Amino acid sequence: MNDTIITTIDRAAMALGGGLVLLGVVGLGIVEVLAGPPYGAAPTTNDAGEVVATPMVDANLRVFLVVAGLVVLLAWQVYRMAGTAGGEDTTQRVEMTAD
Amino acid sequence: MATNTANPLADEFAFDIGGPVATYWVALLRVITGWYFFHAGVTKIIESGFNYAGATGYLQGMTGTALGPLPVWMANNLAWLVKPGVPLFETLIGLGIMFGALTRLAAFGGAIFMTLFWVGNGGYGHGLVTGDFQTLLIFVTLAALAAGRYYGLDAVIERTTLVERHPKLKYLLG
Repeated sequence: MNDTIITTIDRAAMALGGGLVLLGVVGLGIVEVLAGPPYGAAPTTNDAGEVVATPMVDANLRVFLVVAGLVVLLAWQVYRMAGTAGGEDTTQRVEMTAD
Repeated sequence: MATNTANPLADEFAFDIGGPVATYWVALLRVITGWYFFHAGVTKIIESGFNYAGATGYLQGMTGTALGPLPVWMANNLAWLVKPGVPLFETLIGLGIMFGALTRLAAFGGAIFMTLFWVGNGGYGHGLVTGDFQTLLIFVTLAALAAGRYYGLDAVIERTTLVERHPKLKYLLG
Protein backbone atom coordinates (compact mmCIF):
# COMPACT_ATOMS: atom_id res chain seq x y z
CA MET A 1 0.00 0.00 0.00
CA ASN A 2 2.82 2.36 0.89
CA ASP A 3 1.33 5.79 1.50
CA THR A 4 -0.61 6.09 -1.69
CA ILE A 5 -3.50 8.49 -1.57
CA ILE A 6 -6.49 6.57 -2.77
CA THR A 7 -9.73 7.42 -1.11
CA THR A 8 -11.92 10.45 -0.89
CA ILE A 9 -11.39 10.39 2.86
CA ASP A 10 -7.64 10.81 2.30
CA ARG A 11 -8.15 13.78 0.05
CA ALA A 12 -10.75 15.32 2.34
CA ALA A 13 -8.47 14.95 5.38
CA MET A 14 -5.54 16.48 3.51
CA ALA A 15 -7.64 19.39 2.34
CA LEU A 16 -9.35 20.01 5.68
CA GLY A 17 -6.28 19.51 7.88
CA GLY A 18 -3.91 21.52 5.73
CA GLY A 19 -6.63 24.05 4.98
CA LEU A 20 -7.27 24.77 8.65
CA VAL A 21 -3.55 25.17 9.37
CA LEU A 22 -3.07 27.49 6.41
CA LEU A 23 -6.24 29.44 7.24
CA GLY A 24 -5.04 30.06 10.78
CA VAL A 25 -1.50 31.02 9.87
CA VAL A 26 -1.61 32.51 6.38
CA GLY A 27 -5.24 33.28 5.56
CA LEU A 28 -6.08 35.21 8.70
CA GLY A 29 -2.49 36.51 8.74
CA ILE A 30 -3.21 38.29 5.46
CA VAL A 31 -6.41 39.68 6.97
CA GLU A 32 -4.39 40.87 9.95
CA VAL A 33 -1.84 42.68 7.76
CA LEU A 34 -4.53 44.27 5.61
CA ALA A 35 -6.45 45.39 8.72
CA GLY A 36 -3.53 47.56 9.83
CA PRO A 37 -1.45 47.64 13.00
CA PRO A 38 -0.70 45.75 15.10
CA TYR A 39 0.67 43.38 12.48
CA GLY A 40 1.66 40.78 15.02
CA ALA A 41 -0.81 38.54 16.78
CA ALA A 42 -0.42 40.24 20.17
CA PRO A 43 -2.02 43.52 21.28
CA THR A 44 0.13 46.66 21.26
CA THR A 45 0.74 48.21 24.66
CA ASN A 46 2.13 51.57 25.68
CA ASP A 47 4.88 52.20 28.21
CA ALA A 48 2.36 51.95 31.03
CA GLY A 49 1.32 48.51 29.84
CA GLU A 50 -2.09 49.64 28.65
CA VAL A 51 -3.46 48.04 25.50
CA VAL A 52 -3.58 50.69 22.77
CA ALA A 53 -4.38 48.49 19.79
CA THR A 54 -5.65 44.95 19.40
CA PRO A 55 -5.39 42.61 16.43
CA MET A 56 -8.49 42.38 14.28
CA VAL A 57 -8.56 38.61 14.65
CA ASP A 58 -8.10 37.08 18.09
CA ALA A 59 -4.84 35.13 18.19
CA ASN A 60 -6.59 32.39 20.17
CA LEU A 61 -8.95 31.81 17.26
CA ARG A 62 -6.03 31.47 14.84
CA VAL A 63 -4.22 29.09 17.16
CA PHE A 64 -7.42 27.04 17.61
CA LEU A 65 -7.72 26.66 13.84
CA VAL A 66 -4.12 25.47 13.56
CA VAL A 67 -4.52 22.98 16.40
CA ALA A 68 -7.79 21.74 14.88
CA GLY A 69 -5.99 21.23 11.56
CA LEU A 70 -3.24 19.25 13.23
CA VAL A 71 -5.85 17.15 15.07
CA VAL A 72 -7.52 16.36 11.74
CA LEU A 73 -4.18 15.28 10.27
CA LEU A 74 -3.43 13.17 13.34
CA ALA A 75 -6.88 11.56 13.24
CA TRP A 76 -6.37 10.83 9.57
CA GLN A 77 -3.11 9.04 10.25
CA VAL A 78 -4.71 7.04 13.08
CA TYR A 79 -7.49 6.12 10.65
CA ARG A 80 -4.91 5.04 8.10
CA MET A 81 -3.08 3.02 10.70
CA ALA A 82 -6.31 1.33 11.80
CA GLY A 83 -7.18 0.55 8.21
CA THR A 84 -3.81 -0.97 7.48
CA ALA A 85 -3.82 -4.73 7.47
CA GLY A 86 -1.30 -5.57 10.16
CA GLY A 87 0.04 -8.77 11.56
CA GLU A 88 0.08 -10.69 8.33
CA ASP A 89 3.43 -12.36 8.19
CA THR A 90 5.11 -11.63 4.92
CA THR A 91 8.45 -12.91 6.12
CA GLN A 92 10.10 -15.31 3.74
CA ARG A 93 11.24 -18.46 5.44
CA VAL A 94 13.97 -20.51 3.92
CA GLU A 95 14.73 -24.03 4.99
CA MET A 96 18.38 -24.49 5.83
CA THR A 97 20.12 -27.77 6.16
CA ALA A 98 21.43 -28.32 9.63
CA ASP A 99 25.04 -29.31 10.01
CA MET B 1 15.92 -23.34 10.12
CA ALA B 2 16.73 -19.67 9.91
CA THR B 3 14.22 -16.90 9.58
CA ASN B 4 14.58 -13.54 8.01
CA THR B 5 12.59 -11.19 10.19
CA ALA B 6 11.49 -7.97 8.57
CA ASN B 7 9.54 -5.03 9.93
CA PRO B 8 5.93 -6.02 9.24
CA LEU B 9 4.93 -2.36 8.90
CA ALA B 10 7.63 -1.52 6.39
CA ASP B 11 5.48 -2.26 3.38
CA GLU B 12 2.28 -0.95 4.86
CA PHE B 13 3.05 2.39 6.40
CA ALA B 14 6.07 3.79 4.70
CA PHE B 15 6.64 7.53 4.54
CA ASP B 16 9.10 7.37 1.70
CA ILE B 17 10.14 10.77 0.45
CA GLY B 18 8.50 10.23 -2.92
CA GLY B 19 5.15 9.49 -1.36
CA PRO B 20 2.18 11.82 -1.50
CA VAL B 21 1.98 12.29 2.27
CA ALA B 22 5.59 13.43 2.44
CA THR B 23 5.25 15.81 -0.49
CA TYR B 24 2.00 17.18 0.92
CA TRP B 25 3.61 17.89 4.26
CA VAL B 26 6.76 19.41 2.76
CA ALA B 27 4.58 21.74 0.71
CA LEU B 28 2.59 22.76 3.80
CA LEU B 29 5.78 23.33 5.75
CA ARG B 30 7.12 25.40 2.86
CA VAL B 31 4.10 27.70 2.70
CA ILE B 32 4.08 28.33 6.46
CA THR B 33 7.82 29.00 6.56
CA GLY B 34 7.51 31.33 3.60
CA TRP B 35 4.66 33.15 5.30
CA TYR B 36 6.87 33.69 8.37
CA PHE B 37 9.44 35.56 6.31
CA PHE B 38 6.95 37.32 4.05
CA HIS B 39 5.09 38.64 7.10
CA ALA B 40 8.32 39.83 8.70
CA GLY B 41 9.38 41.62 5.52
CA VAL B 42 6.15 43.12 4.29
CA THR B 43 5.22 44.59 7.68
CA LYS B 44 8.63 46.28 7.82
CA ILE B 45 7.99 47.75 4.38
CA ILE B 46 4.58 49.01 5.51
CA GLU B 47 5.97 50.58 8.66
CA SER B 48 9.44 51.75 7.57
CA GLY B 49 9.51 51.56 3.82
CA PHE B 50 12.89 50.49 2.51
CA ASN B 51 14.81 52.22 5.27
CA TYR B 52 14.65 49.78 8.16
CA ALA B 53 16.95 51.36 10.73
CA GLY B 54 16.43 48.51 13.18
CA ALA B 55 18.60 46.31 10.98
CA THR B 56 21.83 48.20 11.59
CA GLY B 57 21.02 48.57 15.27
CA TYR B 58 20.50 44.83 15.52
CA LEU B 59 23.82 44.09 13.82
CA GLN B 60 25.65 46.54 16.06
CA GLY B 61 24.17 44.74 19.04
CA MET B 62 25.85 41.54 17.88
CA THR B 63 29.27 42.67 19.00
CA GLY B 64 31.02 39.98 20.97
CA THR B 65 29.07 37.13 19.38
CA ALA B 66 30.47 34.07 17.61
CA LEU B 67 30.47 35.99 14.33
CA GLY B 68 33.08 38.34 15.72
CA PRO B 69 33.32 41.86 14.29
CA LEU B 70 31.53 40.94 11.04
CA PRO B 71 27.99 42.10 11.99
CA VAL B 72 29.28 45.43 13.32
CA TRP B 73 31.34 45.92 10.19
CA MET B 74 28.23 45.20 8.11
CA ALA B 75 26.23 47.76 10.09
CA ASN B 76 28.91 50.42 9.67
CA ASN B 77 29.84 49.80 6.04
CA LEU B 78 26.87 48.13 4.41
CA ALA B 79 24.04 50.22 5.86
CA TRP B 80 23.11 51.27 2.32
CA LEU B 81 22.39 47.61 1.60
CA VAL B 82 21.20 46.40 4.98
CA LYS B 83 18.50 49.02 5.61
CA PRO B 84 16.52 48.41 2.41
CA GLY B 85 17.80 44.84 2.04
CA VAL B 86 16.32 43.37 5.19
CA PRO B 87 12.66 44.19 4.43
CA LEU B 88 13.11 43.61 0.70
CA PHE B 89 14.89 40.27 0.95
CA GLU B 90 12.68 39.00 3.75
CA THR B 91 9.66 39.71 1.57
CA LEU B 92 11.18 38.16 -1.57
CA ILE B 93 12.50 35.13 0.28
CA GLY B 94 9.06 34.68 1.83
CA LEU B 95 7.30 34.91 -1.52
CA GLY B 96 9.79 32.56 -3.17
CA ILE B 97 9.43 29.95 -0.45
CA MET B 98 5.64 30.25 -0.24
CA PHE B 99 5.10 29.85 -3.96
CA GLY B 100 7.99 27.46 -4.44
CA ALA B 101 9.81 29.69 -6.92
CA LEU B 102 13.63 29.64 -6.94
CA THR B 103 13.21 27.74 -3.71
CA ARG B 104 16.83 26.80 -3.14
CA LEU B 105 18.06 30.34 -3.76
CA ALA B 106 15.39 31.69 -1.42
CA ALA B 107 16.14 29.04 1.20
CA PHE B 108 19.83 29.91 1.04
CA GLY B 109 18.97 33.54 1.72
CA GLY B 110 16.65 32.47 4.53
CA ALA B 111 19.41 30.38 6.06
CA ILE B 112 21.74 33.41 6.07
CA PHE B 113 19.09 35.50 7.81
CA MET B 114 18.38 32.76 10.34
CA THR B 115 22.07 32.36 11.08
CA LEU B 116 22.21 36.03 12.03
CA PHE B 117 19.01 35.66 14.09
CA TRP B 118 20.26 32.50 15.79
CA VAL B 119 23.53 34.12 16.77
CA GLY B 120 22.09 37.56 17.49
CA ASN B 121 19.11 36.40 19.55
CA GLY B 122 20.97 33.61 21.23
CA GLY B 123 20.86 33.53 24.99
CA TYR B 124 21.29 29.75 24.75
CA GLY B 125 19.71 29.44 28.19
CA HIS B 126 18.05 26.21 27.08
CA GLY B 127 20.93 25.03 24.91
CA LEU B 128 22.14 25.74 21.43
CA VAL B 129 19.04 24.35 19.75
CA THR B 130 16.74 27.36 19.82
CA GLY B 131 13.65 28.15 17.80
CA ASP B 132 15.77 30.26 15.45
CA PHE B 133 18.11 27.35 14.92
CA GLN B 134 15.18 25.08 14.16
CA THR B 135 13.96 27.55 11.54
CA LEU B 136 17.45 27.67 10.09
CA LEU B 137 17.30 23.88 9.79
CA ILE B 138 13.91 24.10 8.07
CA PHE B 139 15.36 26.38 5.39
CA VAL B 140 18.22 23.96 4.83
CA THR B 141 15.76 21.08 4.74
CA LEU B 142 13.55 22.81 2.16
CA ALA B 143 16.61 23.32 -0.03
CA ALA B 144 17.81 19.76 0.45
CA LEU B 145 14.41 18.28 -0.39
CA ALA B 146 13.98 20.55 -3.43
CA ALA B 147 10.69 21.57 -1.85
CA GLY B 148 9.62 23.86 -4.69
CA ARG B 149 8.79 20.88 -6.85
CA TYR B 150 5.96 19.83 -4.56
CA TYR B 151 2.89 21.87 -5.52
CA GLY B 152 5.28 24.75 -6.25
CA LEU B 153 6.20 26.90 -9.25
CA ASP B 154 9.68 25.39 -9.60
CA ALA B 155 8.06 22.30 -11.11
CA VAL B 156 6.86 24.61 -13.90
CA ILE B 157 9.95 26.81 -14.12
CA GLU B 158 12.29 23.89 -14.60
CA ARG B 159 10.47 22.92 -17.76
CA THR B 160 11.12 26.29 -19.42
CA THR B 161 13.47 26.58 -22.35
CA LEU B 162 15.86 28.76 -20.38
CA VAL B 163 16.35 26.13 -17.69
CA GLU B 164 16.59 23.33 -20.23
CA ARG B 165 19.36 25.23 -21.98
CA HIS B 166 21.12 25.99 -18.72
CA PRO B 167 20.57 22.96 -16.49
CA LYS B 168 22.79 24.38 -13.78
CA LEU B 169 19.93 26.75 -12.98
CA LYS B 170 18.21 23.75 -11.40
CA TYR B 171 20.52 24.19 -8.45
CA LEU B 172 18.73 27.47 -7.73
CA LEU B 173 15.30 25.95 -8.17
CA GLY B 174 13.73 23.64 -5.67
